[in-house]
Amino acid sequence: MRRLIALLLCLLVTPVLTSAQVVAADPVATPAVKGLWLLTEYPSQTVRPGEVANVRFKLQNAGLAPETFALSVAGAPAGWKVDVLGGGQPVAAAMPGINESVSLTLRVDVPKDAKPGSQTVTVSAKGAGQSVDLPVTLTIGTEAPAKLTIKSRLPSLRGTPRSAFEYTLAVSNDSGKDLTVALTAQGPANFQNTFTEGFGSNEISSIPIEAGQSKDIKVKVTPPRDVKAGDYPVLVKVAAEGATAEQRVTLQVSGQGKIALSTKDGRLSGEATVGKTSDFVMVLSNDGTAAIEEVELSGSVPTNWKVEFEPKTIASLAPNEKKEVVAKVTPADKAIAGDYVASFRANGRGESASADFRITVTTSTIWGIVGIGIIAVALLVLLGAVARFGRR
Amino acid sequence: MRREGSPFTGVGPVFTKELADHLSSIRMMVLTLFVIVFGAFPVASSLQQLRTVVSADAYLFLRIFTLEPERVQITFVTALNFIIPLMAIGLGFDSVNSEFNRRTLSRVLSQPIYRDALLLGKFLGGLATLAVGLMALWLIVFGAGLLLLGVPPGGVEVARAAGFLVVAIAYGGVWLAVSMLFSVIFRSTATSALCALGLWLFFFILWPMVASSIAMSMAPVQFTSADELLGFEQFGQALMRVSPGTLFSEAVAALLNPETRVFGDFSNLFLARSRGTIPNAPLPFDQSLLLIWPQVTGLVAAMIVLFAAAYVIFQREEVRA
Repeated sequence: MRRLIALLLCLLVTPVLTSAQVVAADPVATPAVKGLWLLTEYPSQTVRPGEVANVRFKLQNAGLAPETFALSVAGAPAGWKVDVLGGGQPVAAAMPGINESVSLTLRVDVPKDAKPGSQTVTVSAKGAGQSVDLPVTLTIGTEAPAKLTIKSRLPSLRGTPRSAFEYTLAVSNDSGKDLTVALTAQGPANFQNTFTEGFGSNEISSIPIEAGQSKDIKVKVTPPRDVKAGDYPVLVKVAAEGATAEQRVTLQVSGQGKIALSTKDGRLSGEATVGKTSDFVMVLSNDGTAAIEEVELSGSVPTNWKVEFEPKTIASLAPNEKKEVVAKVTPADKAIAGDYVASFRANGRGESASADFRITVTTSTIWGIVGIGIIAVALLVLLGAVARFGRR
Repeated sequence: MRREGSPFTGVGPVFTKELADHLSSIRMMVLTLFVIVFGAFPVASSLQQLRTVVSADAYLFLRIFTLEPERVQITFVTALNFIIPLMAIGLGFDSVNSEFNRRTLSRVLSQPIYRDALLLGKFLGGLATLAVGLMALWLIVFGAGLLLLGVPPGGVEVARAAGFLVVAIAYGGVWLAVSMLFSVIFRSTATSALCALGLWLFFFILWPMVASSIAMSMAPVQFTSADELLGFEQFGQALMRVSPGTLFSEAVAALLNPETRVFGDFSNLFLARSRGTIPNAPLPFDQSLLLIWPQVTGLVAAMIVLFAAAYVIFQREEVRA
């Protein structure tokens, strides 16, 4: 019996429930609450003296017939300039459609001499039948001082005078506002510094950094070629609006030898006679900053020629030292007169230099004398014939 | 019987008389005209071509002599190689036997003039005539070059061109000696002219073929090394150098082309390919002279030896015919 009642109840309740569901579905189309509101996400904001604060708000119409609402602002302290902007233009009234909203902006120009404290500005929208208010609390905050930090990942690099030293530095803006950071570096005289953005190639002298953000910059230091071995500090400074930060980076320059091969007067041509050894005096010099060990001399000469060096190797060549080397070149016995190229090379450890010599080969004049001898013999034959056969 | 006094007394009068005879003769006029026309044609064409050349050339003036004009296909030097023998033979083929035939030889020799002096005077007179003609031609070329190119020749260029003139005169001297030798040997002027011209044709047409066929017959079946090929070429060249024309053209090539370092196509190729050689580097003048010294020596010595042969034969001849 009880079961039957339960079943009946069920049968009775189900249509009620379904009808309730149908009723509940209606408010989706028509909002349950009707009215007009002024809305903002942040009704209480902090502003800084001398700056412009923009407060975004909306005029929301829910279920009401469209109507013109006059907009006004009240409660602004003296000296403050307050405007209501719509679509970027100052507006005086707004008309939201049914279930629609109008986006508006309250532009507050805070004077520089605004006193700290809270000010409440009330925005109101007044229609024919109703009006709404939106109080916005603006707190004059004390300005957070600009603060910069600079960090280097690899503050010390090692290289030769010819290498470029690249330091990556992270500059962060720890203050509450965007800053344009000027970049400078102080190094020893004749050191060249260039700044580039993290992965960029353009040289920069300043970089804008947003509040709270950090940016990577690269500083490339090029030492002069003739710099002596040693440690050189470079002070990288960043500065913006009174805030500065600095970071010291170090270049560890190791010396490098630079070998040069030439002659005393720079003349790279000479003469040689066929089959005879000619000496070419060359000067080997080290223009670099470190000694060069085990300089070996070699030469490439035309086929069948001979070349020897005196001395063949030089144990060590100190910086700015000059040593004379004699190349003994012997042209081939059957070399034809004319100009040839012989190149001489000096190879040190990792360093080499070469010099091309233009060698003019001259042939011996012996054959010329032989030729004159032959003509003389022919003349003698003639004279002999004159002596033998001469008659009246 | 011992001779009294110098054998060469009377060379002077014979020389001047011979020179005067040559220079005033119709034959000389014809020969000169022939040479100038033959020489002027290639020079005019090469000058025309050189005027359009814009590239810098340190030896521009010498190119007048050696440039092969596109339209004419003959260089001035080749033309001279061909005509100088003709001119020399024309001057010398009847120098002695015409005196026989006119029966003037005994009359001349009855003067206080030795036979030695007569022959030497005749030879020198011919050589001087040849030199005058060639010098005139040379100066015409130089003048035309100055006029049309507007570039003065450098000192080395003048020296090289002068060397070329000397070699050309020596080359003419060889053929003059050849023709005088024939004029001494043969009593008939026609025979001597024919023999001299025959020898000239032999050296110009037949000898290159003979020389190359001899060289080819001596060559191995297959060349195994560059040296072998070089040796083959040098052997062929040595055979070719029997001809005075080859000596002349080689000497002139080295004098007028300062870039000449070796003779022969394969030798040049071999030189250009070998390591360290600077191609087209001009030789200094003295080195060019050393290079062609054997050729020059050969020409001068051949001239002297041929003259000596003519002399010996002439001395032993009966003149009172």
